[in-house]
Amino acid sequence: MAGKILIYITFASAMLSMGLFFLTHLGKTQYLKTARLMFHVSAVSVIAFSAFMLYLILSHQFQYAYVWEYSNRDLPLSLLISTFYAGQEGSFMLWTLLTAVIGIFLLNYVSKGQRMEAQVMTIYTLVLGFLGLILILKTPFSYIWEMFPGEAKIGFLPEDGRGLNPLLQNFWMAIHPPILFLGFASLAVPFSFAIAALIKNKYKQWISIAAPWLLFSSGILGLGIMMGGYWAYGVLGWGGYWGWDPVENSSLIPWIISVAAVHTMIAQRKTGGYIKTNLILSIIAYLLVLYSTFLTRSGILGDASVHSFSAPGAEVYWALIIFVGLFLLISFGAILLRIKELSRLKRYTTQFFTRETALFIGAMLLCVSALIIFIGTSTPIISKNTVATEFYSQWNLPIAILISFLTGISIFLQWKTTPMVVFFKKISIHTAIAFIGTVIMYIIGVTDFIILILGFTSLLTVSINVQILIKIIAQGKLKFGAALGHIGIALLFLGIIGSSKYSVEENIELPVGMPKTALGYTFTFLGPERFEDKNNKEDSKYLNVRVEKDNKELLMKPVHFMNKIGDGYSVEPDIANFATKDLYLSPKNYSEGEFIHKQVDLKKGDKAEFGGVEFEFIDFSNKGANMNGGNAPMGAILKVTDGKNVDTINPTVQLGQGENPKYSPGQIISKPNYYFYFEKMNVAGENSTATIYVEDTSIKASEETLVLSVSIKPFINILWTGTVVLVLGFFFSAYKRTKDLNDAKPEDEKKKDTNSQTKEVKT
Amino acid sequence: MSNKVKTIIGILIIVAVIAAIVPTFLSNKIEYVNFEDAKKKTKTVEVKGKWVKDKESKFESNKFSFYMQDDFNTEMKVVYDGAKPNNFEVAEGVVVKGKVKDGVFIANDILTKCPSKYEAKEMNN
Repeated sequence: MAGKILIYITFASAMLSMGLFFLTHLGKTQYLKTARLMFHVSAVSVIAFSAFMLYLILSHQFQYAYVWEYSNRDLPLSLLISTFYAGQEGSFMLWTLLTAVIGIFLLNYVSKGQRMEAQVMTIYTLVLGFLGLILILKTPFSYIWEMFPGEAKIGFLPEDGRGLNPLLQNFWMAIHPPILFLGFASLAVPFSFAIAALIKNKYKQWISIAAPWLLFSSGILGLGIMMGGYWAYGVLGWGGYWGWDPVENSSLIPWIISVAAVHTMIAQRKTGGYIKTNLILSIIAYLLVLYSTFLTRSGILGDASVHSFSAPGAEVYWALIIFVGLFLLISFGAILLRIKELSRLKRYTTQFFTRETALFIGAMLLCVSALIIFIGTSTPIISKNTVATEFYSQWNLPIAILISFLTGISIFLQWKTTPMVVFFKKISIHTAIAFIGTVIMYIIGVTDFIILILGFTSLLTVSINVQILIKIIAQGKLKFGAALGHIGIALLFLGIIGSSKYSVEENIELPVGMPKTALGYTFTFLGPERFEDKNNKEDSKYLNVRVEKDNKELLMKPVHFMNKIGDGYSVEPDIANFATKDLYLSPKNYSEGEFIHKQVDLKKGDKAEFGGVEFEFIDFSNKGANMNGGNAPMGAILKVTDGKNVDTINPTVQLGQGENPKYSPGQIISKPNYYFYFEKMNVAGENSTATIYVEDTSIKASEETLVLSVSIKPFINILWTGTVVLVLGFFFSAYKRTKDLNDAKPEDEKKKDTNSQTKEVKT
Repeated sequence: MSNKVKTIIGILIIVAVIAAIVPTFLSNKIEYVNFEDAKKKTKTVEVKGKWVKDKESKFESNKFSFYMQDDFNTEMKVVYDGAKPNNFEVAEGVVVKGKVKDGVFIANDILTKCPSKYEAKEMNN
């Protein structure tokens, strides 16, 4: 009850706040104080119901359906906390919480000076309100008898919860979703600023105010995306960090757009142009976040994605469509409102060979890349087709080459005009370094021509930006965020070349105890080492493998277990991390080996022979037992004749709902190694047959075998390093821009904007 | 850079993009078809269906073969260059990606569809 009430308060006060901020915008500034108050009420309400949910989870209140579905008593604290966002409703709650908290900082930020507070907050409160609406439609606070009517009595308090899917039970679950959602939620800020700028018809000021937020969003979202990649790589075992999965793509697209916007904002700051571009990119970035939410949660992608939640029901589906549609409408409306003024903005000219050109082409290329990914990702929605992953890499590769080239040389281009001689002189040493590096790449095995070009341009970028970085630090300045970011992306490209293009893989079949060589190493499967089953994992074991090379030895322990929630076997890889490569082991198939056996289908009275004994199927026992559970198990009565000895045995099987069948085999005294199993009944009226499986456990027919995928990922450390450096670059830039803003005097901010319509940048 | 130049660059990029992407898209498009149609296609396709448990399935030296029935009840033998997926026996459905050659479906990828994903469909008391 308390939770639901708080959600209503969130929605109502957000909507009230929106109305009051709008009135303030219209000039009725007497409402400003109340508008701010209402927003704080809404935000505090969000924090309150989030805290309440956390309390319910930590105190194991399983009468709440959400708490029951995703948590149990066994989970360690950090994972228990993360069950907050394990399911649909919870992840919406997380998004709402982050939006509310960001909003508090935002309100504080825009209430200083002339920062378009009324307009920005009108839009932002709408965002918060809409999220509250979705939580009303799909509340995380249902009781278990409301969610499963008919299966649970009112007031029923389960002993324990169902618990978290084992695939989610790791360190990354605690941080990847919150960071990613923070990135998503924070893109609402540049969006709100852009719409506010349109409403106020002032296009110079918003850039410097919104830039720190955009940089922060880009950094956090990028970090969140790569964490997902590392999770996939380190835990899921398919050997990669990026699958071009629709949900992965739909988080990448807004990120690429926000990166483009970061650069065109710089161009606007320096040249006064790109006003329309910046508005459009900032708006599109958040619209794409909403689209991404729709893709992930509406169920429209069905099983096409690793991330798909099950369909949330019609109300949420439509709420999401309306969310995207409404914001699309608002964006169009705002642009149409000002279309006359926007088209009247003064043009300006600079020369071709300038930094501005490089930024423009770079930003366009990023948008093309985003468009390609968008088309590929949306294909399953429009038609009954998907695209092969090669579609994405085919054009992103040349784009990556051009982008890394521009990233390198652009810093040596001037804003107004670049004297050629100076440019070529500056670039020559780096070209030489990059060339040497490329030759080295060729020598160590990179022979693909187009990859070598990407290698060359990336090395060029690293070399140039390292020089810049050193120069700026030596000057004692803080303006090195861009240099860091560029080094980061170049390292990322180099790391991708190594670990994706040149990774090698082999599947080897390892019967226990038999060494085999592959990829320069010798592998020996040592057999399973079982460990404690808990938290929805069953039959958990390490499949220990001894790895040898050059007289050095290593024990690697990939994991194999039965996932009770996903209903099937899952694996976790083991990775040996060396400086220049990773050795990646992932179990592909594990079979415990079979004994000599025979399987037959017998009608009543039929006989069969196995290993010197004859057995006859007499009849079913407990035929009435329901196949889906029921009381006593069903079985077969067999008469087994071994020479002079005649036995009657009754092997049975107990089938449970959602559980593995439990077999109780029959045995005879004279042949204690023979086990007779009743597999199932094949229903055919009078001619029903019993499937009988008999094995001799003293003779092995096939060995316990592990089919292992071994792969080498060269230079993957460069990839992860690149990610970290890239994210640091964004954060340093965000910090520097915020500092600049706070150091600038408020009068300057006002002065800038009155000139925006008439000032012309000199050539 | 003058506006005219910018517009020209913009148009060139758009034209280049369309000219490049469309063929790429068409050649990488993977259709969902049934086995009958798959026989007629030369490109990679995807077929959805179920494993035929009664027919022989074999896994040896990195080749996994089994029989599959598509949603239109057509059966075909599938050969996959790789190991049997871990969850094959309990999979509710199977999706194979590849081409038909000499009446056999040569798959370069197999996806198993497990009965339930992250959420509970019902309570098990």
